[in-house]
Amino acid sequence: MMINFRNITFLVASIAFMSSCESKKENQVTQELPIQTEAELADGKFPYRNLSTYGFFEGEIKNLSPNASLIPYQPASSLFTDYALKSRFIQLPENQEALIAENNLQLPQGTILIKNFYYPADFSSPKENIRIIETRLLIHSEKGWEAFPYIWNEDQTEAVLKVVGGEKEVKFKNLKGEDQVINYLIPNKNQCKTCHNQSEELAPIGVKIKHLNYDYDFPSGRQNQMAYWAEHGKLEGFLGKENHPSMINYEDKTQALEDRAMAYLDINCSHCHQAKGPASTSGLFLEYNQKEPMKLGVMKTPVAAGNGAGAFDYDILPGKADESILTYRMNSTEVGIAMPELGRTTIHEEGVALIREWINSMKK
Amino acid sequence: MKPIHFLFLSILLFGIISCNSRSNEQTFDSSKLPRASEAEIEKLVEDFIMVEDGGTIKVEPLFYDLKTQLILDNKKNIKIQGAGMEQSVISFRNLKTGGEGVKIVGENILIENLSIEDAPGDGVKAQHTDGITFRKINVTWTNGDKSKNGTYAIYPVQCKNVVIDGCIASHSKDAGIYVGQSENIIVKNSLAFGNVAGIEIENCDNAEVFNNVARDNAGGILVFNLPGLPKSDGRSTKIYNNEVIDNNHENFATPLGDGANGNTVTMIPPGSGIVLLAAKEVEIYNNKILRNKTTGLAIASYQITGFPSEAPNWSPYTHDIYIHDNTYERTMKIPDLTRELGQLISVYNAHGKAKTQDIVYDGIWDTNLSSDIETNPMKICIQEAGMEDLHFTRFYLMDGEDKIESFKDYKPFQGCQVSVSTDVSGLASL
Repeated sequence: MMINFRNITFLVASIAFMSSCESKKENQVTQELPIQTEAELADGKFPYRNLSTYGFFEGEIKNLSPNASLIPYQPASSLFTDYALKSRFIQLPENQEALIAENNLQLPQGTILIKNFYYPADFSSPKENIRIIETRLLIHSEKGWEAFPYIWNEDQTEAVLKVVGGEKEVKFKNLKGEDQVINYLIPNKNQCKTCHNQSEELAPIGVKIKHLNYDYDFPSGRQNQMAYWAEHGKLEGFLGKENHPSMINYEDKTQALEDRAMAYLDINCSHCHQAKGPASTSGLFLEYNQKEPMKLGVMKTPVAAGNGAGAFDYDILPGKADESILTYRMNSTEVGIAMPELGRTTIHEEGVALIREWINSMKK
Repeated sequence: MKPIHFLFLSILLFGIISCNSRSNEQTFDSSKLPRASEAEIEKLVEDFIMVEDGGTIKVEPLFYDLKTQLILDNKKNIKIQGAGMEQSVISFRNLKTGGEGVKIVGENILIENLSIEDAPGDGVKAQHTDGITFRKINVTWTNGDKSKNGTYAIYPVQCKNVVIDGCIASHSKDAGIYVGQSENIIVKNSLAFGNVAGIEIENCDNAEVFNNVARDNAGGILVFNLPGLPKSDGRSTKIYNNEVIDNNHENFATPLGDGANGNTVTMIPPGSGIVLLAAKEVEIYNNKILRNKTTGLAIASYQITGFPSEAPNWSPYTHDIYIHDNTYERTMKIPDLTRELGQLISVYNAHGKAKTQDIVYDGIWDTNLSSDIETNPMKICIQEAGMEDLHFTRFYLMDGEDKIESFKDYKPFQGCQVSVSTDVSGLASL
């Protein structure tokens, strides 16, 4: 039977209601988390409540000094997360190794990826007065990958699992010496998958061959990361740098502009904007090796962009960065417009500048 | 304040200036509800994260002020149940990050008896879900300034077996009920009002839209196929027994005074009842298409947008359309002049300037099929009672702006039928 909606009585929201909504408390900052004092048993049943229970770090936990089972890593290009600095480690299970098969990096069950997000008080001294905000673990269990966000306390003595996420006010001085205040948003557990998603399975982003087939400053010296793993008995199937895909660091100004732009889009966008990612709905695919102009957004009209389209017709209008939706959305912090949708409440000026330069260099 | 006065006032204030109406109507007032505590809010977020297959997530009769998204991730046989649209309200007004309020991925999911308000992006989005039912949910925005509203209210995309039943979607900046790149779809018994587009079926296969009311939107019901998407072209849609009335709301998809942008919906002229764009195999019958001031029904090809019209496995033409047994009523209002398509209809229609049309056809055809549109190469079949009294216009736009012509003659499009087959019997159990 058809519902007759026309008979539903309706109330027009009063002006008072509107203004009461507007005046809701804003900028509520996550309260300090209670730390459970009794020690947690490291019984191998993940996730642990406390980060310290994993025993990843030696000495004072806030120094993030890895134990011998952790390998530090860094993708060639980094995902922008509100200028947070990151220290990343991988722990492969004892006596097991990763495998490269058809240029896919396969990590054994029991692998844990550890990513610490921190801010120095002053970016000109990036190693001093550090405040760690959160540590995200990706754990490869028999159920596949799972993500767990841990939020650090103000004393920097512990981080506690918080599946619902949170919010922290962060202050720092940027490289220009300007004081910055941001509301850092810690994603809830399921938001992690907004980015870490391949065909609706949770998946690492930076731990892929194309990102790690690149040099890193190990304590033992600068070396290709995949070569280092292989040398230490942690990787099988590595045939040398030239025989696998590799990406560049978009910050490396000696590289070609187009390659730098594509590297930037790959690490910042392509986890969603690819055929197996959540943004496949848009038809906009931004992987490093994308060659089809329409998939890259050239003269492509938006689909479900809503406010994100601004006043513009195309994702990329060649030669006109200021009339392209891509730069418009990168250059906004307004939820509903800003891209990426998560992990960014500030504008990445350098990233916007790079993509602008690239679009402006395209032939009209 | 009695609602009628408010509406009258808003028409007076905005209607005269823009010649389009505008509505802030709410079906109820959620501000009167008891508010969920921080602990109750956190429990709801946790329930979405921790629920196991076969479980039920209860949304209590409270007003929930969320600061984070509610995401259901790859679960099976889940029920998300509120205590009623006017009792259980989830507000995303204070959401600072995330593309939608509620996101659902999984298999055989039901969401029912609740309201979702003020999400900055989309209200509720379901993706890659086989078996998704939205029942008696209300998704809306309460901003006085509608330019701040979100994109889609109810948004299944890349889904299979979709049922939208007894829902209300209002005030979205794009489509209230938007089904995209999906297959096997029922939209029924629902109400869409105050949106730019009421109900939209885009790049979908096998859809039935019936017993709905689409009123007071800029456009009532839309069937589109857009280029360059993973689901490249859709076909087989039936639209029947709907009321498509008074869709004369201003198009607020872009700021007032700004024209259209690359989002196709920004081009919809206020006063559009049903719009077909690059649509294939659509049957439209037994609908009441009343008082839509620009045109009751528009049949258009993608070329009319002026955007590039080539994409793999996709055709810009609208073809195989069967329109019959609908009721039309024109208004005395002036058709839209704010959008190019509105201007085209207002100025160039075959019945006289500023006359509302019942059916317009852009007359863009594939010349590879025939050199003469009077052979009806795109199979546009119209069988309406009293056709001679309807305002029918077929345009000639093949030579661009310099030579726009229009014709009243509907006979080339009569005496034919198109068989559109849909089968949604598999959705009966949802």
